[in-house]
Amino acid sequence: MVKKFLFATVVLTSYTAAQNAYERHCVPCHASLPTSLQGMFMNHLLVYGGEHNFKAALKHYLRYPSKDISVMSDLFIDNFGIKEKSTLSDKELNEAIDIYWDKYKVFGKLK
Amino acid sequence: MSVLKNKATNSLLKSEKKSLFRFLVLYTTMVIVLMVLLSAFYYQSQEKFMLAEERATLSKYAYIQTKRLKVLHHFFDERDTYPRDSRFRSAIYDNEFAKIFSLIKEENIQFDKEIYIADKMIHFIETLDNYYLGARYLVIEVEDDTQWRAEIWKHIFIYGSVAFLVFMLFGFYLAKLFLKPMRDSIVLLDRFIKDTTHELNAPLSAILANIEMMDTDIMAEKNKKRLARINIAAKTVSTLYQDLTFLTLEHERHNEDEPVDIKPLLEDRVEYFNAWIHSKRLECFMDTEDASIVIDKRKFTRIVDNLISNAIKYNQRGGSIGIKLRKGMLMIWDTGIGIEKEKIPFMFDRYMRFNESEGGFGIGLSIVKKIVDEYHMSIEVESEIKKGTRIILKW
Repeated sequence: MVKKFLFATVVLTSYTAAQNAYERHCVPCHASLPTSLQGMFMNHLLVYGGEHNFKAALKHYLRYPSKDISVMSDLFIDNFGIKEKSTLSDKELNEAIDIYWDKYKVFGKLK
Repeated sequence: MSVLKNKATNSLLKSEKKSLFRFLVLYTTMVIVLMVLLSAFYYQSQEKFMLAEERATLSKYAYIQTKRLKVLHHFFDERDTYPRDSRFRSAIYDNEFAKIFSLIKEENIQFDKEIYIADKMIHFIETLDNYYLGARYLVIEVEDDTQWRAEIWKHIFIYGSVAFLVFMLFGFYLAKLFLKPMRDSIVLLDRFIKDTTHELNAPLSAILANIEMMDTDIMAEKNKKRLARINIAAKTVSTLYQDLTFLTLEHERHNEDEPVDIKPLLEDRVEYFNAWIHSKRLECFMDTEDASIVIDKRKFTRIVDNLISNAIKYNQRGGSIGIKLRKGMLMIWDTGIGIEKEKIPFMFDRYMRFNESEGGFGIGLSIVKKIVDEYHMSIEVESEIKKGTRIILKW
């Protein structure tokens, strides 16, 4: 019994450590939504432009989500609502946003 | 013959030339500065005009490119090829001026300007309302057609030359206007001299003739001295009269050039001034060899008379004068007051006098210079204050 518990703990810890903050805290919830994370990135980018503005605005929204400042359409919000306030630490939130930016940023991707 | 038509008066004096030169240099500098400023303003206005015309075309290109960016933004997960156009090159920058993508050659974009020229390229900066692909600035670049610039330079050269010419003519008119008071006073003095010269001739001739005719053998020693003084005074006035006549009436007679034997002429002129030389207790050194020159004798006499009389007049009592004659060279020196180096170039100007203690009009050396120039001779002046002056004539 003890061996089984230890095995499960090791597997779970290894799985958690293998995933980064973005994959742990963002991807699972957004997987069920019809708009991809890239689509949302482009919506956000359209409004906030540069990296600094983008990250600051996104962090603020995740801390204080509101329909008024959302970049998503009213139809989307009516169907899926506004997300819960993020309870992640500053460090984790910054890390997740940085990864999100690096993954979908336009820099270096155009030909 | 009107004095106003006198050639000597119409030619510019050195001091007049200097004033005219200074004025013209200052005026020309100001005109050039003005022309450069006007040209710069004209160039800038024409450049702005050309850019205003280009702005309409470039705005249209920016609008087209914005629409293409919009499409690419919405389909970015499927497409990643930046839209290109053969008519222009473009680049996109985010609101932190970081380059997102660029097809243009210029690296240092001037985001504070809407349109500008750099490296023969026209650049147009469009600020986007929506940050398609995160872009805040869209830069459009086209080749600069340098034809307009050549046209502007052509206009600047043609109109500039015409304006410069007009300004310079105006400058000459102004210069003449400024020099008129100086010129008027010279003309007035000339007229006065000419009028008085005529009245001097008859009494002067009578005085000199009667002095020559006087029997000095029966004269008391005291009266002999008095007569010698009268003789010197009369000869001084006679020399002045000769100079004034030369100055005012010379252009009315023709030169009678002939080979002149200089040595006897010098001896004759020294003899003429002998009484004056003795009265100032001067020692006269003659070092003459045979030499001749082809010249109007009357004019050469004027040169010799003026140089000798100056050597006597500006000498100190008990000093020396010397005359050295060689082939092609005549030197007359004195141990007089001398003249400052910086004043030497002006000593041949008419009415120029540096020593008010001695009488005279200041015309003697101007006559010398005039004759020297006429016969292409050269004249050198070496002088040291309180030591003396050497005037060397070469032909």
